[in-house]
Amino acid sequence: MTLEALVAIIAGGLVSGSLYALMASGLSLVWGTVRMFNFAHGALVMVGAYSAWYVSNRGGIAKALQPIGKSIVANSEEAGALGGLLLPLGEWILSIKGGFGLVLGVPFAILCCGLVGYIMYVLLVKPFVGKPGADLIVIITTIAGASFMQNGVQVIFGPRYKQLDRILKGPPLQILETAIGLQEVLIIILTPLTLFLLHLFLKHSKLGLAIRAVAQNDDFAHLVGINVSQIYPLTFVVSSILAGLCGVMLGGLFFILPTMGAQELLFAFVVVVFGGLGSLPGTIVGAYVIGFIRESSAYIIDLYWAPVVLFATLIIVLIFRPRGLMGGEDS
Amino acid sequence: MTWMDEGFKIRHLVWALGIVIFLAIPHLVTDKLLMHLAILGMLYAIVASNWDLTLGYAGVFNFAHLAFFGIGAYTSGILAVKAGVSPWLGIPAGGVTAALASILVSIPAIRLRGIYVALLTFACSQLVLLLLLSQPLITGGQQGLTGVPQLQIGDFRFRESRFAHFYLVGFLLLCSTIFLRRLVTSDFGLSLIALRDFEEYAVARGIPLARQRLLAFLLSSIFPGLAGGVYAHFLIVASPDIFGFSLTTLLLSMVLVGGVATIYGPVIVGVVMTYVSELMASSAWMSEVFGISRGPVRFMFVAVLIVLTMRFFPEGVWGLIKRFSARARGTSNEQQSQSGS
Amino acid sequence: MLFQVESLVSGYGKIDVVRSLSLHVDEGEHVGLFGPNGHGKTTLLRTVSGLIPAKAGKISFRGEDISNLDPRVIVERGLIHVPQGNQLFPQMTVQENLTLGAYVSRSDSHKASNFEKVFALFPRLEERRSQRARTLSGGERQMLSIGVGLMGMPELLLLDEPSVGLAPLIKEELARAIAEIAATGVSMIVVDQDVELLLGICDRLYLIEKGAVSLETADVSQVDQAEILEMYFGKVTG
Repeated sequence: MTLEALVAIIAGGLVSGSLYALMASGLSLVWGTVRMFNFAHGALVMVGAYSAWYVSNRGGIAKALQPIGKSIVANSEEAGALGGLLLPLGEWILSIKGGFGLVLGVPFAILCCGLVGYIMYVLLVKPFVGKPGADLIVIITTIAGASFMQNGVQVIFGPRYKQLDRILKGPPLQILETAIGLQEVLIIILTPLTLFLLHLFLKHSKLGLAIRAVAQNDDFAHLVGINVSQIYPLTFVVSSILAGLCGVMLGGLFFILPTMGAQELLFAFVVVVFGGLGSLPGTIVGAYVIGFIRESSAYIIDLYWAPVVLFATLIIVLIFRPRGLMGGEDS
Repeated sequence: MTWMDEGFKIRHLVWALGIVIFLAIPHLVTDKLLMHLAILGMLYAIVASNWDLTLGYAGVFNFAHLAFFGIGAYTSGILAVKAGVSPWLGIPAGGVTAALASILVSIPAIRLRGIYVALLTFACSQLVLLLLLSQPLITGGQQGLTGVPQLQIGDFRFRESRFAHFYLVGFLLLCSTIFLRRLVTSDFGLSLIALRDFEEYAVARGIPLARQRLLAFLLSSIFPGLAGGVYAHFLIVASPDIFGFSLTTLLLSMVLVGGVATIYGPVIVGVVMTYVSELMASSAWMSEVFGISRGPVRFMFVAVLIVLTMRFFPEGVWGLIKRFSARARGTSNEQQSQSGS
Repeated sequence: MLFQVESLVSGYGKIDVVRSLSLHVDEGEHVGLFGPNGHGKTTLLRTVSGLIPAKAGKISFRGEDISNLDPRVIVERGLIHVPQGNQLFPQMTVQENLTLGAYVSRSDSHKASNFEKVFALFPRLEERRSQRARTLSGGERQMLSIGVGLMGMPELLLLDEPSVGLAPLIKEELARAIAEIAATGVSMIVVDQDVELLLGICDRLYLIEKGAVSLETADVSQVDQAEILEMYFGKVTG
C-alpha cells in the first residue's frame, strides 16, 4: 500500500467514523436511558439536512419570502409614516435571495431536530413506556414514524436532490499528495468537539447527571427526586440534535434526498452492536473502528463489498457475543 | 356438544360460499386495475400472514421476512432470465432458496433476545440487498431485474387472461392460509405460544426453544418465497424496492391492523390495505384535496394507521370482529372463540 | 405529629402486601420497625416515598396528605428514603452519587456544607470520592447510600435494612454513624432485622407482621431489652 493510499484511508476512516459516532451516540444514549431502540433515528438526519437547507440556501425560505418582500416594497409608499420603516424591511427581504446561510441554518436545524425528537417521543414512545413488549412495539411505531417523515419531506420538498453549502470554501488540503476536501477536514475536527461537549454535558451539568442516573438505576433516580418522566423526552431531544448535526455535515458532502440517513442508520446499528448498546465510550470507539474497517475494505476489496464485509462482521459478532463486542455493562 | 356441530357446519358453509364468490369475481369485475390490485393484494396477504407466524405466534421480530419474498422473486427471475429455466421450476426453486435463507438467518437469530433479534435480522436483510446490488450483471443492480418472462402454459399467456393470475394466486393464498391455520392450531403452534408467553416454564417442561423457533422461521419462509416467484413473473420485474422501508411498513401494517396472532386478520387486511393504499396513490380526489403528488401520502397514511392501531386497537381488526361476534352470540360460544385463537 | 400512616393498603398488582397498617412518628422521634421478611416493611417504605401507589388509607407528613404524590415532590418536602441493598448509581463516582443526592432544589444550594457533613460522618467516603460506586465494599456502599440520603437534607429519614449483610465490625461503625445522625435531631424510621441495633438508636419499636402492626412498644428505655427479644422470637417461632 502506498503512503498516499494510507492517508486517504485514514482521512476517509475519520470522516465516516465521525458521522457514525454522531449517529450512534444518540442511539446509544436513548437505549441506555429509555431502553428503546429508535428506528426513526436515520430520518432525523434527513430532517436536520432539509431544515438547514431550507433556511440557508436559495430556494428555501428565502424564495418563499420574495413575494412578501415585493409586496411590502410596492405598498410602502401608501403606508404613510409606517412606510419609512417598511421599505427597508422589504428591501432587506429582497436582498436575501440567496438564503440566510448556515449561520442561521445550523441553529434552525438544531431547533427543528430537537422539536421533532420531542414530538416523536410523545407520539411514538411515551404511550408504550412500561407496557409489556414495549421495546418491540416501539420498533414498529418508530419505523412508521421514519416512513412518515421520509414521505412527508418528499411531499413538502419534492423528490429532487438538494445540496447544502459547504461551510468552508476553498481548494482541498494537500497531505502527502492526497487531496482532502475542507468539508471533510471540518467534519474530522468538529465531531470530536461535539462529542466532547456531549461528554461535558453528561458529566458536569445537572441534567446530564440526571440522564446518566436514570440510565443506571431509575428506581434510585426517583428516590433522589429526579423527574424521570422528563428525562426520557430530554434524552430523545439530545439524541435527535446529534442526528441532525450529522445530517448538516452529510448535507455538505453528498446530495440531500428524502431517503438519506438510512445508510447511516445501518452503519450506526453495526456500531452500537459492535460497541455495546448503551455504552457511550464503547459506541464512540466502535464508530471509528467501523469507519476504518469500512474505508480500508473499500480500498482493498471493493467499494460495493465494504458494507457486505461490515454486515458479515456484525452477524459474526452477534453470534459469538450476543450483547455486543464490548456490551454487557451499561454506563 | 351441539354447538360444535353447528359451528362446524357454519364454518364449512362460509368456506364454500367464499370459494364460490372467489371463483365468480373475475367474471363480475371487468376493471383491469381492480383485478391487478386484487392479485397484488393476495400476494401481499400471503407474505403478511406468514409474517404473523413469527411475529404474532413466536413473538420474534423478524425484519428479514420481506427478504424471503425478495429472494423468491430474484431466484425465479434470475433463473428465467439468465438460465432460461421455466418459471414453473423457478417458482418452487424460489421457495427452496427462501427456506434455505430462513435457516441461515435463524441459526444466529434463535440465540438472541428482544432487540438483538431485530438488529440481526435487519442486518441480514440489508446484507441480501447489498449482495444483490453488488452484482448488477446478474441482478440488474439498482434498476432491478427486467425482462422477467411472464407465466405461460403452452401458448396460453397468463397476462392475456383475466382469470389465470387471479386463480393461481388465489389458490396459493388458500393453500398458505390452510397451512398456517393448521400449523397454529397444532401442538407445534401451541408450543410456540407457550414459548412466547411463558418461556421459562415452557422450556422447563421440555419444549425445545431453539428447534421450535428455527421451525417457525423456516415454515414462515416457504410461501413468501413462492409468492415472490409469482410476483416477479406477474410484474415481469424483480426490483430492489422489495427491501425498502416503505414496503416493509406497508406489510407490517397488514399484520398489525389485521390482528397479531390471528392469520385471518393479515389475510383479509392484506387484500383490503393493498386496495386502499393503491387507490389512494391513483385517485384523483386525493390530489385535489391535498394538492400534491399522491404517492408518498399513502405511506404517510399507512404510518399513521400503524401508530393508531398499536395505541388504540392492539388486537387489530380481527380481534375486534371476534370480540363483537362473541358478544353477539352470547357466552355459550366462548369456548369456541378460545379454541379458534 | 410529624408523620402518620393510617390504615394503609398497598402491594404489587393484585396482591396486597401491606394490609391496613397504621403508625406514627413524632417530631424528632426515632422509630424502629422489625419483623419477619416479606411481611411488608419494605413495601411500606416504597409506598411512603411514592414508588408504588397506595390503594387505600392515608399517609400524612406535617399534617398534609402525601399519599400518591410523585416521588420527587415527596423528596422535595424532606421525606427521604434510603433503599435497601446496593441501590446506587454504580458507574458513577462517590462524588457524583452524593451530588445527585442534592438534586432537588431545597438541598441544591446547601450542597457544599452537606458534603462536609457527610464526609465528617464517613471519612472513608472522602478518601474514595473519585472512585466508582460499584468498586466499593458492601459497608462503604451502605455508607454512600446513607450519605446520598443526607445530601437531600432529610426531615424524616427512612432507612431500609442498613445493617443487612455486613460484618460485625462494620455494622458497629454504621450503627454509631446512624446514632450520630439521630443525635442531630433528624426524625427517623429505621427498618432492620437486628433488634439490638434498633434498640441502640430508636425511641419506640413496631413489630410488623402480615402487613400490619402486631405490636408496639412504649418508650424503649422503660422496657427490658431481653423482654422485647423474647416477645419477638417467641412470636415468630411460636
